[in-house]
Amino acid sequence: MYEFNFNRPASIADALTAIADADDGQFMAGGQTMIPVLKQRLAMPSDVVELANIDDLKGIAVDGGTVTIGAMTPHSEVHNSLEVADAIPALADLAGMIGDPHVRNRGTIGGSVANNDPAADYPAAVVGLGATVVTDRREIAGDDFFVDLFETALVEGELITAVRFPLPDKAAYMKFPNPASRYAIVGVFVSQSNGDVRVAVTGAGPCVFREVAMETALAADFSADAVAGISVSGDDFNNDIHASAEYRAHLVTVMAKRAVIKAG
Amino acid sequence: MPSVSMTVNGNAVGGDIEARTLLVDFIREHLRLTGTHVGCDTSQCGACVVHVDGTSVKSCTMLALQAEGCQVETIESLADGDTLHPMQEAFREHHGLQCGFCTPGMVMTAVAMAKENPNLTESDVRHGLEGNFCRCTGYQNIVESIIAGAKAMQG
Amino acid sequence: MNNVNIRDSVRRTEDIRFVSGQGTYIDDMNADGQLVGMFVRSPHAHAAINGFDKTDALALDGVVEVITGADWAKLGFGFIPSNSAVKENTDGTPIAVPERSCLAATRVRFVGEPVAMVIAETLDAAREARDLVEVDYAPLDAVTHPVKALEPGAPQLHNGVDGNLCVHWELGDGDATEAELEASDHVVALELHNNRVTAAPIEPRGTLAIPDMETGVTTIYQSTQNIHALRAAIAKILRLENDQLRHVAPDVGGGFGGKNSLYPEPVVTVYAARNLGRPVKWVNDRSESFLSDTHGRSQYTTVELGLDADGTFRALRTTTIGELGAYCGTVGAFTPTGGSARTQGGVYAFKAMHYRARAGFTNTAPLDPYRGAGRPEGSFQIERIVEKAARDLGFDPIELRRQNIMPKASLPLKTAMGLDVDCGDFLTVFEKTLAMSERAGFAARAAKSEENNKLRGFAIAPYLECTGGMPKEHAIVTFSKNGAAHLAVGSHSTGMGHETALCQILSAELGLDMDHISFTQADTDATPLGGGHGGSRGMELGGNAVRQTADEIVAVGKQIAAYQFECEVGMVDFEDGSFFQPGSNNTMSVGEAVSASFNPDALPDDLAPGCMNIGSTFERGVISIPNGCHAAEVEVDPDTGVIDVIGFWIVDDFGTIINPLLADGQVMGGVGQGLGQAILEQAVYDGDSGQLVTGTFLDYAMPRADDMPHMTLDYYEGSPTEKNPLGVKGAGEAGCCGAPPAIVNAVLDALKDHGVTHIEMPMTPEAVWRSIHLT
Repeated sequence: MYEFNFNRPASIADALTAIADADDGQFMAGGQTMIPVLKQRLAMPSDVVELANIDDLKGIAVDGGTVTIGAMTPHSEVHNSLEVADAIPALADLAGMIGDPHVRNRGTIGGSVANNDPAADYPAAVVGLGATVVTDRREIAGDDFFVDLFETALVEGELITAVRFPLPDKAAYMKFPNPASRYAIVGVFVSQSNGDVRVAVTGAGPCVFREVAMETALAADFSADAVAGISVSGDDFNNDIHASAEYRAHLVTVMAKRAVIKAG
Repeated sequence: MPSVSMTVNGNAVGGDIEARTLLVDFIREHLRLTGTHVGCDTSQCGACVVHVDGTSVKSCTMLALQAEGCQVETIESLADGDTLHPMQEAFREHHGLQCGFCTPGMVMTAVAMAKENPNLTESDVRHGLEGNFCRCTGYQNIVESIIAGAKAMQG
Repeated sequence: MNNVNIRDSVRRTEDIRFVSGQGTYIDDMNADGQLVGMFVRSPHAHAAINGFDKTDALALDGVVEVITGADWAKLGFGFIPSNSAVKENTDGTPIAVPERSCLAATRVRFVGEPVAMVIAETLDAAREARDLVEVDYAPLDAVTHPVKALEPGAPQLHNGVDGNLCVHWELGDGDATEAELEASDHVVALELHNNRVTAAPIEPRGTLAIPDMETGVTTIYQSTQNIHALRAAIAKILRLENDQLRHVAPDVGGGFGGKNSLYPEPVVTVYAARNLGRPVKWVNDRSESFLSDTHGRSQYTTVELGLDADGTFRALRTTTIGELGAYCGTVGAFTPTGGSARTQGGVYAFKAMHYRARAGFTNTAPLDPYRGAGRPEGSFQIERIVEKAARDLGFDPIELRRQNIMPKASLPLKTAMGLDVDCGDFLTVFEKTLAMSERAGFAARAAKSEENNKLRGFAIAPYLECTGGMPKEHAIVTFSKNGAAHLAVGSHSTGMGHETALCQILSAELGLDMDHISFTQADTDATPLGGGHGGSRGMELGGNAVRQTADEIVAVGKQIAAYQFECEVGMVDFEDGSFFQPGSNNTMSVGEAVSASFNPDALPDDLAPGCMNIGSTFERGVISIPNGCHAAEVEVDPDTGVIDVIGFWIVDDFGTIINPLLADGQVMGGVGQGLGQAILEQAVYDGDSGQLVTGTFLDYAMPRADDMPHMTLDYYEGSPTEKNPLGVKGAGEAGCCGAPPAIVNAVLDALKDHGVTHIEMPMTPEAVWRSIHLT
């Protein structure tokens, strides 16, 4: 790891100032991806602005129609939250599938979403539920947030403060984990809200995406049979020793089917 | 150099450290508590698991500065003098270790697991060990150790 | 009193320190004034080195020394040795053993090969300096596939090694086998791949070398399995006498063969420490371990089984291509040749067998023994071809095995591979395993699986293997006047629990309190010789050395007792820790005898004070034959290809079981590694670049707790071997001999209605899915 200046602001305003003042500053949330990257010397920030002391970024709020999760809320808290489990059980379920228990105790939703790893789980929930990413300066629709491999709509110095999820009528996430890393080889998040259906796929391609043909089919008939016959093109899918693009494409259909069944 | 202070195994500790110092290196190199081990460099193996403010974390994936003001517990905190902690005793009784290298991380994980759920099932334990590798045991005796240790911790 | 017996499940002494974080592993050790070493490693699979520039690295604050390959070459030290038991090709020519320098000077042959060492005051300085050592490489074409390496036109690794071929070798009667195959009603053939894997002990390798400038002796602390042999090798390379080096292994965090070999890094570390006059410590990180630890297995094999119309086996022919990697490892050419050949045929009777191997060099990390070192390969080959024969010819796989297992009455015998099978009851072990495996309920369970759109399968896989490793072992017992005993042995536990099991043997033999026995292993100062760990030799060699030493102690004790009893030595008996003269009231405890052994007045003239302190070397005559049987039940999800290993049953014949708790641990750990090889693990090199694709645990799939089934274990103890006094057969490697074929065949059983007859290991979800849907 290269040496850096470490900054631990107690407010969002101070965090923004710290990042603006740095030559090449980087926010650190839970650090579960960033620290391994730093250890491998794949990044050399001049300043690390760590967000753990900012109370405004923490916590879970459920009101009538939404669940809002502070950016610095760890996965374990979302997973164990009775409120989340009651409002959007699929979200609590998904949080419990990320990494391992220790990673879940440190890793946060804000960090996961900002990093936009192609095999991360949370992006599937953000897109699959039509969530809104709230930053220090604006609100970004989940559909617009994830741009490409490790690339998001965030501009330099922009800080995610929370993610706001609307409550679906039903939803479920099915994950096919990589046997080595346990990241998603394919993860499919399915939701239905007022007749609208979303099918978000992570792991398969360079970035989370919606599977429109499945959404259309499920909108007409929310059943496993409706998606069972839909085969997905693996043309732009990831291809590695664990899964070929073709196999990933196949898994999208299988996981979608199972997610629909799980959603009930 | 920035300074850090925290409580490790009940003792107030601190010092000036480089910002890049990992918590595990602070524990091992600065405090010379070498029970916490490093088995990989990609946050997979879990040999480095300690408790920070009561929850299990991989100390190789946390900066020491992030533990500022925290209560850190390592494997060395568990035994009371010559009396082993019930989870340590269970690992010994059920042969839940061989080379011992993953064991501190396993035991710390187990204690965290047992505190959350004293009535662990085999499936709970196997799933709960997702972040810990053992290359010696085939895990079966670790699973048995943890179930028994969790029971014993209830007194 | 804590007196224990053979076959007691004694809880481990070493656990007290391990569970409380008080173990001392190599990275826990530090010496005053210590420097830190790191290695610059080749980023190329194959390249010529045109030169080194260490100027910038040396200029960095805190950097003390940089030793490049060119520097090393000038020092004129020796090369890394390879001591394969197979030294000649079939035609009598010597096998090819290319020179391997500790630091490559003019050419690199695998990604991760060390080319320079930087030595600095701190780890951070060393790490930074490592990036500043400039090496001018001219990349060459590389070959990473063992079959392609032997084809004409393949990139050539070593000058003077034609066609990258290290060894061509055969065992058995080729003509007789050919004749038997000709005479067979059926010949079933199968091509299969034994996947390349790596031991991946959770503790990476490392060394701390501490020079004593006054005595000239350097103490080497190393995470290794094999100190005596390695000390000799390091001394030879560095042109030192053995006694200029003391070699010690502290607590070692797993080995499994991966820490047996002589690696370059410890040698250079020792040199650096001696040259700089300061302690030097080097410890690999995990990424370096993947690149530079030896890998194991890797064979491409054709197996042919000839059998009569009624299913009786006639002949077995195995033709295999093995792999050495870039250089010959410490036992090098032996694993794919002799190591894999000798247990060919498993527990079955054959009229003839023939094994033929070629093994060559590839631009990959060297291969060397990994738990089993050839026997798991042999076991996989026979059990896969038997399963294939049953499927192809319509025999019941269980019945076909039962029919061909060597009957107990046929033992002892020498197999067509020359293996001395003295005892065992393979059929009883087989039936016992079958009975344990709840066959009666299988149909119902399979039906239940089918309801859930899953496929259930079962397979049984008997195995027969053998021990190996250094044939001699030494044990020394030193008593204190208060009766406490210190036991030192040259065998080595890297987690198997010898600290307990060997003391248990001593306690049982002498009736000593376990709590009064202390233990040393893995220290060249403690024993004059030692074979370390390898080939399941811990109890067979170490255990018998302790037993033999105990016998000699008893013999001396009898002399002391006879002197006190004023009787003939032949009239003294020994039992339960007491010397006594039958028919009299004369008794003397071991403690009293020990006490007397220090008192000149209590000793006969021919005994000197301290006469009960005895060291003894046990030598094995013939290797032992552990055997057993594994059975697996699996459930396959045909939609995803995911395998769930649901049930696993094991019966082992290890002869005498010293400590069932520890034996269980060995078996289950071996099954873990066997399951890993069967469905998860593979070390993969990119064919074009020669880069290691599985360079971290993110890509190398280690078995986790939720990958493993619950295992049910039992032992067959009716045939202790007479090859050694304890009657033990070795337990360490059996698990990974039985598990891969049991699991693979169970999966194929599950897929039988889909016409799937073969899937290579590891049976990844995609491989299984493809076999169902795309064949």
